[in-house]
Amino acid sequence: MTGPIIELTDIVKRFGEHLAVDHVSLSLQKGEKVVIVGPSGSGKSTLLRTMNFLEVIDGGLIRFEGREAGYVERGGRRVPDRQKRICALRSEIGMVFQQFNLFPHMTVLGNVMEGPLTVLGRPRAEAEETARAMLRRVGLEDKSGAYPVTLSGGQKQRVAIARALAMSPKIMLFDEPTSALDPELVGEVFDTIRQLARDGMTMVIVTHNMGFAREVADTVIFMENGRFLAQGAPREFFASGVENPRIRSFIEKML
Amino acid sequence: MTASVSQRGGSRALVLLLPLCFLLLAWASCAAAQGSDMLLAKGRAAMDQGDLAGAEALFLQVPAPGAGGDDGQYVFSRMQVARIRHAQADLDGAEAAAREVLAVYPDNAEAQNFIAAVERERLPAWRRYLQDTARFLPSLLHGSLMTLVLVLFTMAVSPFGGLLIALGRICPVKALSGACWFVIWLFRGTPLLLQLFFIYYGLPALGVTFKPLTAAFLGLGLNYSAYLAEIIRGAIQSIEHGQTEAAKALGMTPWQTMRRVIIPQTYKRLVPPVGNEFIALIKDTALVSTIAMVELMRTADQIFNAYFNVTVLVLAAVVYLCFTTVFTFVFERVEHRLGVYERR
Repeated sequence: MTGPIIELTDIVKRFGEHLAVDHVSLSLQKGEKVVIVGPSGSGKSTLLRTMNFLEVIDGGLIRFEGREAGYVERGGRRVPDRQKRICALRSEIGMVFQQFNLFPHMTVLGNVMEGPLTVLGRPRAEAEETARAMLRRVGLEDKSGAYPVTLSGGQKQRVAIARALAMSPKIMLFDEPTSALDPELVGEVFDTIRQLARDGMTMVIVTHNMGFAREVADTVIFMENGRFLAQGAPREFFASGVENPRIRSFIEKML
Repeated sequence: MTASVSQRGGSRALVLLLPLCFLLLAWASCAAAQGSDMLLAKGRAAMDQGDLAGAEALFLQVPAPGAGGDDGQYVFSRMQVARIRHAQADLDGAEAAAREVLAVYPDNAEAQNFIAAVERERLPAWRRYLQDTARFLPSLLHGSLMTLVLVLFTMAVSPFGGLLIALGRICPVKALSGACWFVIWLFRGTPLLLQLFFIYYGLPALGVTFKPLTAAFLGLGLNYSAYLAEIIRGAIQSIEHGQTEAAKALGMTPWQTMRRVIIPQTYKRLVPPVGNEFIALIKDTALVSTIAMVELMRTADQIFNAYFNVTVLVLAAVVYLCFTTVFTFVFERVEHRLGVYERR
């Protein structure tokens, strides 16, 4: 067995006085699926965003494929690494946002092509081929010429997933991917993520959906006030024997 | 002896008479000239006092040249009479006075022009306007070519200048953003007219001399770049932050993010305010008429001053309106085109 894809050690993130992430450690093996749950403002999204350096950490260490990543020592202080290297790291880490953040001025195909074309510098024809394959994977090949504004929320999120997949990421980060969706559209997005899980994609998913967490996760983590209150395989996590009443009431509310 | 004496006496008388004759002649001509001068002076005084009839009578007494009259004074007197009669709406009388001049000097341009003007005034108003239009429009259109050149140049250059200054303003490097702030502050905070004056009349004192066209390009280009910079900066910063995050998450550099994701989304938002600026630009080009540029406004001004003809001003206004109308229409089409991805 090879080492972990990503390894977080003792991560600290502050917003002013507020401690958003409080000395948290986490590591993912290839193909592992971690689902983070917890109340709003518990630091789940912030933690997720430190993993692709959208948030600059105030303490701790991030290793990507065994190597220290994203920060360098300069003048006795740890500072973010050069832009170019951070961009290179990000290109290997896919991210899906709650608000989709599709590029509205590009067609569906254009959105999915954009990464390979601009970031990886692939020829147009090759980028288009990749993009079409990814759209087929999320079941939206027939929408390739449409603009995002014409799509439903669920379709938008599936395009966003295809856009991230087109970069052949080593790990996918999902930041509440269904929270902005109408309830009847949640299913199609989860189906897509489930499909990815079966294909062996390494994933970190932040969600409020307990049913999905139980179904797809190898490890479920409950986070509150910037800390991991509990973590474990879904079977143990959801077993009625969860000793912490705080977690139990949260789960009951969410289910 | 006596005969010789009487002969000598005759020649002496002749010597005495000759100067006397000359004196007499000189006096006579002098008196005639003095008479004309007096008449003209009196006539002018009468006009100053508002006694037009009296002035007319005095001017008419100025004799025709040849009969001891002087040509300049004669022409002046009759043309004054013509103007007095014209002011009193006596077109026929005015023309008769001018024709008196032509009777003596058939080629006198002043009288010819005056008669032509009187004849034009006899035409119905609509024909007069039509005639003015036919007469002035070609010059105005020719002048408007330069206006068009100025407008198109500034429209082509200022968006790029504005984008550069806007990106400089956003840039985290303090020195650069400060410099860009200064440029905007300077060019938005002073009148364009003053900037043009400074570039064309002021800089030569510092050893830099520009041709009028270069100075106009420079002034309009810098001024409009500064204005557009703030509009472009606003548009860039109005794009949702999620777009930047999505681009970053794909691995794009800040410049790739700007070029591929942010800037293309500003185009549609930019058209209404930038279109507004460009409409103002069309009218602002009139200011370069003050730095020796001959364009639409300057042409109209020259014609107006030469003919004192109000029609030319109306015509210039119509040409400006045509410009702004066409450009407004073009901007609307462009906005519609750019908004294609927002239509469901």
